[in-house]
Amino acid sequence: MSVTQIGYVADGNVIELTNVWKVYRQVQRSAKLGEIFRNFVHPNLREVVALRDVSLSVERGEVVAYAGPNGAGKSTTVKLLSGLLAPDRGRVRSLGMDPVRERARYVRRIGVVFGQRTELWWDHPIAVSYEWKRVVWDVPRERFERTCGFVREVLGLDEFYTSLARELSLGQRMRADLGMALLHEPELLLLDEPTLGLDVLAKRRILAFVKELNRERHLTVLVTSHDMQELEQLAGRIVLVNRGEIAYDGDFDRLRRMHAVRRRILIETADGPAPTLEGAELVESQGSRHEYVYDAGAVRVSELLDQAAAQAQIVDVETHRAPIDEVIADIYERWQEERAAERAESESREAQ
Amino acid sequence: MRAGSGSSATGARMKRVLELWRLYAYLDLVWIARDLRSAIGYYLSDAVAGVGAVLGTLLLAERFAGLGGWTRGQVIFMLGYGVLASGVLEVFFNYNVKFISRRLGRGQLDHTLVQPHPIWTTFLTEGFAPFSGSPMLVPGVALIAWSSTLTELPATLGWWLAFVVNLAASAAIVLAFSFLWGSLAFWAPRAAEEVSTSAMRMTDQLKGFPLDGLSVGARVGLLTAIPAGFVAWLPSRALLSIEGANPLALLLTPLAAVALVLVAALAFRAGLAEYRRTGSRRYTDFGHRR
Repeated sequence: MSVTQIGYVADGNVIELTNVWKVYRQVQRSAKLGEIFRNFVHPNLREVVALRDVSLSVERGEVVAYAGPNGAGKSTTVKLLSGLLAPDRGRVRSLGMDPVRERARYVRRIGVVFGQRTELWWDHPIAVSYEWKRVVWDVPRERFERTCGFVREVLGLDEFYTSLARELSLGQRMRADLGMALLHEPELLLLDEPTLGLDVLAKRRILAFVKELNRERHLTVLVTSHDMQELEQLAGRIVLVNRGEIAYDGDFDRLRRMHAVRRRILIETADGPAPTLEGAELVESQGSRHEYVYDAGAVRVSELLDQAAAQAQIVDVETHRAPIDEVIADIYERWQEERAAERAESESREAQ
Repeated sequence: MRAGSGSSATGARMKRVLELWRLYAYLDLVWIARDLRSAIGYYLSDAVAGVGAVLGTLLLAERFAGLGGWTRGQVIFMLGYGVLASGVLEVFFNYNVKFISRRLGRGQLDHTLVQPHPIWTTFLTEGFAPFSGSPMLVPGVALIAWSSTLTELPATLGWWLAFVVNLAASAAIVLAFSFLWGSLAFWAPRAAEEVSTSAMRMTDQLKGFPLDGLSVGARVGLLTAIPAGFVAWLPSRALLSIEGANPLALLLTPLAAVALVLVAALAFRAGLAEYRRTGSRRYTDFGHRR
């Protein structure tokens, strides 16, 4: 890795989390009157481990999807990388800097978009917010004009560029926020749920824009989202976080191979109701087209087709892999079951 | 070499502050000039509020030709000074900088922390509102001018310098008081969201009251626990040399400002360290306030 005197990472790792821990303390409240007064004096605290000994590296130019169930530690990681939070243990380095200790210098080189919050000035037009960004980030005028022109064109901001931020729809505001995060040409872009609540068209525009930036400008991107299809379109690498730990780090295809045994089969019959197939579950039936989901590890396609052929005349067959949403949902469900089992075991041990 | 680099760094910081003041003045002008009717309404209501804060004492001074050993003209000077101090805060620390607990309580500190300069730079500049914040200055200046027709004001350069320094110190004391109490919002964002508003309201309501004649305990309390005495009474007493006030008394308000600012800065720093540990506890993952 080459690092210049000012900490600029020319190549190699942009993000380095090394054995990072982040623990929150939550006050546990009770509805019982006696416990309310007791907790007032001696609060009942519960420790929530948001990140547990997490180590993660992201190279320059990577687009990394950072996913996990609610409470897994995704937003905590983004906040650590934004300089808003300090780790309790371990080390966070990004662009060769400590995001907290070198905050002012560091945030000059990153862009952050929090999907649920805006950085736009609420009572001012987008144009004024963008001018504010230019001055505060000290972006040279020529560079600003060039970048501003680019984001306005690609994100289609001209239709509402002179409208007040509070007058915009959610999709328009998100596009404006994304444009604003890029005006200073950051080297690292952190997107925390950037398409939350957006319609399909708005999502598509934003994803296409980010992909283009990554391709043309080698922008490093870390994006969190619950929309798995969106992440699969955008990122080449997915990091799955569960209960503060990295449960998977690799590409989407390997994730499917490791965890996805569910596949879908679409059978079109000449007539009659949907055939009943042992080992497959009917998920949708439209006219003569019947879609089933099945466990590829437990039953073969040929067996299903034999069963279907015995009940109806088959006109067409399609099989395809399960959508990534289903793969992830299965993984989350498995984790939930494991957690429930652990809890039950711990309760029974306590009872003994 | 070191002295030179130190002074050039200070120069660069000052230049940056001026650039940002220019920016926020532009934002303020754009905002106030958007709608003439709203702007006029805003100006009038602020000016009326400024006068209203001191009207009670003004009427008492009119009724009794003075108050607590102060002549009518001296009371009017003190009230004008107090309104000007509030006006200085409105001009330089608007936009929820002076009501810092609102920023902290509403989870808005993240917006400050993602900006590429020290946090003090943001607080010193983001609240600059020379157009929307100026209505309070007008009644303040008017009261001072009126007082000058009733009581003799020294017109020397030294005196005006002392006036400006004390005025800045009075504004700093109110701001520091707000920040000191407002820091509670780091630990209790919901409960303490409006504590700065309450703290400032306390100093605002008490600023126009001459403390001469009150018990020592009351005066000490209003110069320490609630520093309302520094907002107008003590500096005006020194500037007008009331009852033989020592010229060194001109230093008391600035010194108190330095002390209170330091204490407030320490409290805020402690709160910020806590914030780094816990983050904003006000927003859920989906942006709704807890």
